[in-house]
Amino acid sequence: MRALVIDDSRVMRRIVSGILEDLGYEVQQAGHGREGLDVMDGGWVPDLACVDWNMPVMDGLQFVSAVRSNPAWRQLTIMMVTSESEHGQIVRALAAGAHEYMIKPFTADAFRDKLALLGMLPQEAVL
Amino acid sequence: MTLTTTSFDWVRALVHKESAIVLQPGKEYLVEARLLPIARQRGLADVSAFVESVRSRPDTDSMRCIVEALTTNETSWFRDGDPFTALTSTVMPALLAARGPSERLQIWSAACSSGQEAYTIAMLLEDSMPNATTRVSITATDLSREMVARTKAGRFSQLEVNRGLPAPMLVRHFTRAGNEWEVAAPLRRMVTATECNLAAPLPRMGPFDVVYLRNVLIYFDLPTKQVILRRVRELMRPDGWLFLGAAETTLGVDDTWERVVVGRSSAYRPKKGN
Amino acid sequence: MTELQDTGLRRRADDAAPSITDLIDEETVQSIAQEAWSALVGEDEFLVPLPGDLPEDAVSSWVDVRGPWNGTVVITTGRSTAEQLSRELLKEHAPPVLDEEDIEDGLGELANVVGGNVKAVLPGPSALGLPVVGDAPVAGPDTCRVDLLWRGQSLTISVQGTAGALLDQ
Repeated sequence: MRALVIDDSRVMRRIVSGILEDLGYEVQQAGHGREGLDVMDGGWVPDLACVDWNMPVMDGLQFVSAVRSNPAWRQLTIMMVTSESEHGQIVRALAAGAHEYMIKPFTADAFRDKLALLGMLPQEAVL
Repeated sequence: MTLTTTSFDWVRALVHKESAIVLQPGKEYLVEARLLPIARQRGLADVSAFVESVRSRPDTDSMRCIVEALTTNETSWFRDGDPFTALTSTVMPALLAARGPSERLQIWSAACSSGQEAYTIAMLLEDSMPNATTRVSITATDLSREMVARTKAGRFSQLEVNRGLPAPMLVRHFTRAGNEWEVAAPLRRMVTATECNLAAPLPRMGPFDVVYLRNVLIYFDLPTKQVILRRVRELMRPDGWLFLGAAETTLGVDDTWERVVVGRSSAYRPKKGN
Repeated sequence: MTELQDTGLRRRADDAAPSITDLIDEETVQSIAQEAWSALVGEDEFLVPLPGDLPEDAVSSWVDVRGPWNGTVVITTGRSTAEQLSRELLKEHAPPVLDEEDIEDGLGELANVVGGNVKAVLPGPSALGLPVVGDAPVAGPDTCRVDLLWRGQSLTISVQGTAGALLDQ
């Protein structure tokens, strides 16, 4: 499975990518929404996108709207990963087409819980 | 004796194979903390002795126990969603059909910790049936006074709501309260929290239509398990449903229960005539 | 830094509008910061509420909040503390040598996380700016300031900005 990690913080990109790679994901990174769209336009289409909200050039909400306006990317699962944590903002992100919303700060365990909810935990054995 | 590298690596490999969860080196303390109660219960001196005994003579039950103890966090919401899916898809429809329209349904969340399980049930029912808040009451019990108080408050930190609570449910059922999140008042009114020691005679409660007693029995020895299961059965309706943790069973413990498969989960129902 | 805007909508003191200090106090800021440290820096990493001396090479990161309340959330600590923090954030994914960008980025991300959660305590909607790293910004009036020790090293978090009641939106 492939995941695209979009965050303007290099440190945060590495943290999120590290968690996903430990779970067996193949990961690409982008520093803002426009870069993320460029990766996908270039033919590398992920199964999952983890997107920060506040970024230069194109923010996470604009990225979600752009992805949702293109039927070719209908299969993409999107999770916002952001310190934006007002009730109204979570509503906006979900309305725009994000499937899940992870509030920073988070732990690796919480990240796996969210992926489990999304059915995006690779090779998960049924106990 | 502290955990040896060989033991830790074996546990690591087992957990990864069964759950895809990676235990990083340095998580030895977690293995120690989670497995010590099980080792003690089996009369072994320490975690290494326990792991070595399973490693040298692997049995399915013990291996499931280890995986479960390391991957289950009782403070997460929907992480193990199957027993909740079973509630809305099978159990509630069956109970609603069997009961009169004004009969109140009673659900027990035993060993409720800070209340995530009780409120998960409340949210699911509110989303899936009309009049849930007046039709169903949920009793949440825990040994710890502090946990009972936390359940009553229905307030959760940012880190707690991040643990397996779907975002659509968060925004539908919670409001911001300072830097915490608070469960909506109608759901809090559905839940009654009270102290209860499962290993002692139980208070007068119920009768319950559904009982969630998950990841509790693994910490008790066989005679205690038997006593707890008998007392729980006494507080249940004859056509009630009991949910245990994925690594737990009544089989070989108390044969007055019938195991039924519900979706991807198992439930236990009192056998007729017991 | 945020400039003060007089929209004419500021409430009078005898109105019921909450004051920023009713919503954001030291306990709230410390608990937000402690959650960020526990989750991102490490499970057993504690911020101890004791004042210490900041070294001369102190560095700050901050984010602006704009909405019913305008202000800035600032983290200030010593350069080597900032480096250790970035290393702990990255854990096993840290490169052998952290460059300047990693250190500033790590401290900036902590300001983003603390700032975002401080903002969420306010009645929104508010906008959160991108983190900035540098010498401490020109200090506005501290609405609230916590002096902390992390592994014995000094670190301060201050919430600076408009004092008094929140603006109508």
